[in-house]
Amino acid sequence: MGLKAYLNDIVEAVVTTAKGMRITARYGVDPKEEVTLQYPEERWEIPDRYRGFLHNDIKKCTSCTMCVKVCPVDCISLEAVRGADKKMVLAFYDINIGRCMYCGLCVEVCPVKSLTHTSGYEMASTDRGELILHFIHEDAAEVKARVARQVAEAAAKAAEAAKAAEGTKAAEPPGPATPKPAGAQAAAKAPEVPSLGTEPTPAPEKKE
Amino acid sequence: MTIRTDALPTQEMTINMGPQHPSTHGVLRVILTTDGEVVTRAVPDVGYLHRGLEKIGERVTYAQFMPFTDRLDYLAAMNCNCAWAWAVEKLAKIEVPERAEYLRVIVCELNRISSHLIAFGSYTADMGAFTPFLYAIREREKVNDLFEMICGNRLTYNYARVGGVSGDAPPGFLEKTKEFLDYFEPKLDEYNNLISYNKIFVHRLANVAVIPAEEAVAYGLTGPNLRGSGVPFDLRKDEPYSVYPKFDFKVCVGTGERGTPGDCFDRYMVRINEMRESIKIVRQALAQIPDGPVLAKVPRVFKPPVGEVYFRSECPRGETGIYLVSDGSVNPFRLKIRTGSFVAMNIFEKVTRGLMIADIVAVIGSFDIILPEIDR
Amino acid sequence: MEALAKSLVNAVPLLAGVPLWAVTLLLMVVVAVVILVFALTFEGVGSLVLRKVAGDIQARIGPNRVGPNGILQFLADGVKLVLKEDIIPANADRLLFQLAPYFVFVGSFAAFVVVPFGVGLIAADLNIGIYYVMAVTSLVVVGVLLAGWSSNNKWALLGGMRAAAQIVSYEIPVGMALIPAVLIAGSLSLQDIVRSQGGLLGVFGWNLFHNPFTFFSFFLYFTAAQAETNQTPFDLPEAESELVSGYNVEYSGIRFGFFFLAEFGDMFIVAALATACFLGGWNVPFFNADTLPWIWGNLLSLGVFLTKAFAMVLIMMWVRWTLPRLRVDQLMRMSWKYLVPLTFVNLLGVSLWLLLFKGKGIPGMIASLFG
Repeated sequence: MGLKAYLNDIVEAVVTTAKGMRITARYGVDPKEEVTLQYPEERWEIPDRYRGFLHNDIKKCTSCTMCVKVCPVDCISLEAVRGADKKMVLAFYDINIGRCMYCGLCVEVCPVKSLTHTSGYEMASTDRGELILHFIHEDAAEVKARVARQVAEAAAKAAEAAKAAEGTKAAEPPGPATPKPAGAQAAAKAPEVPSLGTEPTPAPEKKE
Repeated sequence: MTIRTDALPTQEMTINMGPQHPSTHGVLRVILTTDGEVVTRAVPDVGYLHRGLEKIGERVTYAQFMPFTDRLDYLAAMNCNCAWAWAVEKLAKIEVPERAEYLRVIVCELNRISSHLIAFGSYTADMGAFTPFLYAIREREKVNDLFEMICGNRLTYNYARVGGVSGDAPPGFLEKTKEFLDYFEPKLDEYNNLISYNKIFVHRLANVAVIPAEEAVAYGLTGPNLRGSGVPFDLRKDEPYSVYPKFDFKVCVGTGERGTPGDCFDRYMVRINEMRESIKIVRQALAQIPDGPVLAKVPRVFKPPVGEVYFRSECPRGETGIYLVSDGSVNPFRLKIRTGSFVAMNIFEKVTRGLMIADIVAVIGSFDIILPEIDR
Repeated sequence: MEALAKSLVNAVPLLAGVPLWAVTLLLMVVVAVVILVFALTFEGVGSLVLRKVAGDIQARIGPNRVGPNGILQFLADGVKLVLKEDIIPANADRLLFQLAPYFVFVGSFAAFVVVPFGVGLIAADLNIGIYYVMAVTSLVVVGVLLAGWSSNNKWALLGGMRAAAQIVSYEIPVGMALIPAVLIAGSLSLQDIVRSQGGLLGVFGWNLFHNPFTFFSFFLYFTAAQAETNQTPFDLPEAESELVSGYNVEYSGIRFGFFFLAEFGDMFIVAALATACFLGGWNVPFFNADTLPWIWGNLLSLGVFLTKAFAMVLIMMWVRWTLPRLRVDQLMRMSWKYLVPLTFVNLLGVSLWLLLFKGKGIPGMIASLFG
């Protein structure tokens, strides 16, 4: 290459380097140019729509199972039994937030808005079992037994009342007063969650 | 195998630029056969991140697949979300409200900016200049803040829905977007002064891995890789979809300003210039956005008609094409995703012959690949 | 050292019975320990300053958790490195693998002997000062090559080869860029070079302002020396993003610590040589340090020297965080086609100047105009 191109190379190298160094120097000395947020002392202000951990307000939940059906990774599982007053009673409602992908589809489809996102994002744990959130704090078998009892009692009461009514109207033909079988179990679609999802408190056999 | 027959026989080395490597932009394995520093053959070995997304698509419903498209190209998740939504809407002929289309374009272009920022930052970091990466991340955090405001998440947005978007812009979103654009536009000049035209950087990139225009088209390259070779093909202009026809923007092509047309520097500059054009588009969208609903009425149990559709959209890394076959049930029958990064792997072997090992890194960075897109 | 030993024996009656060679040896050990402590402290603090400067330039805070403002970070790093498992790869050449870090560290540390810290603060004022430094820092090449070869790793081998080529090629511009300072002083001894820049001219007595050729010499030296110390833009041997740490990829624990420390030690040597040869060394401006009382003279000159040397180190860090990395063939091209011819021309220029103007520099000529 000619002498002119050679010298041009050198000059261009020096000039572009100097331009770059001026920019980095400005950042180096300007104390305002520091964008670090020193977690955990300083925290980011969470916006309203943030999709953090899920929370289900059990009092409002009607166990319609929409959330279970729409979850792409099958992290919600629930079982409900029909109670004495014909309303569904939840035996267990578990969300495996270790599996959850925080997509928000379950929150969108919840018809009564009991399932919501919180702004929580800090739940690191050393045990995968801890990542399953249980929203019914009783044992599922106990709940089901209790509901079965209540339904049986209600059925017995209804049978007595029907007998009493029958006794007063002896001439009437017997109506279809066959009491319903105890406890129409309306179990939700139990999704294919591995051993961690279906038991309320699984014993961690393997240390993950 | 000896390759020279004079007094000092030498041997080629087979080096594994393994899945774990700082510069392969993911778990890409490149098997290099080199003669000293000069590469004689570089074969990419993909598949380390294959998760069976297309198979998953066959067992979930159309709405349930949306979060999975986030993970297809996580740096441009909005673009992938919207591509899926547009594909399904094309199949089922759903009319999307205009405000939703405008919001989709705004977030898609913002995501293009943040994706190109990562491309720029990681490319310069691979070249040894570590500071522009931090600047790019700082800008990207601001875009993430905007996205967090509108959809609730900073990386896997799940924002688009079949028929619209999941939520309208919250109060303050459009103003904050404008603030961001005003803040960001001068930064591009700063980056150019700092690193783009730096003599060393130009020397590293110019005349490396030149891809002539015909070859780029023949190998099926798309996006900035194609435009870097001088082919002015941009799906937003040539096969417009959504509300893109309403915007006025330039298609950036590589001109060989510091070397040969189609070299790494051209592909890099196309991305820098595209960021500028995206700013223009977002500004126009903010000015034109109408009021209205943001989600069309789509039945809860959504069964599109039997048929097949191929929809392609311009994602930051190229063309993301979704080929969708429906058999009338709630789950897709088959879906195939064609991504720009996967096709760029096609030309990798040809273009890296005779380069040095340091140039392999430059080539990988200039293609701006991302492994989840390659492996799906 | 002998003279000091003699004066010590005379001053302290307790040592009267001890033979002179023993006192000399003891003194040498003490001085070596002092310099070792200084070198290690500098290398530790230097690594912290590097990270803090990087943080400042990159719009973030550097380490700030260990100790107030992070100043104990290097101790934490040191402890971590010492506690790490010492891994030697299965098929590595054990002896060479274990030997390599020592070569590199010794190559860097041995050059501290001739660094002129102050008026009387120099471990050994060898009359071949600069020649000695050039020779001893070449040991680093041996160490790097050993590390690259013995690691039984192709990436390490590539890094070692590149490093060897780079360091050897840049020795020439470094040496030739230092020769103008030698010519002006008329001696290879560093103390003489520093003294030749002293006098009443103050700042303008520096070799930097002596004549335009030495001005360019300084920048050429700085650029070539940046390559000698494997700093970006010449950090190919340890290119993090290509070779995944190059020649020291298989090293863990304190063996890696040696490489790491030697890099900062080299940076200090380069800065010290630049200060001594071009920036006036320990000369306190407008003072004659020899005339001050012993303690003040030494303290002041030490302070001046360290300030200048640390400023040079900071500039090296600033350049490091701004520029990208050169490819190996571009590196070689820069050395052989740009730096070597330029330093040749420089040397010729300085020689002609000294011949024509009888050794006087521009500030000297201006001063003599005013009497």
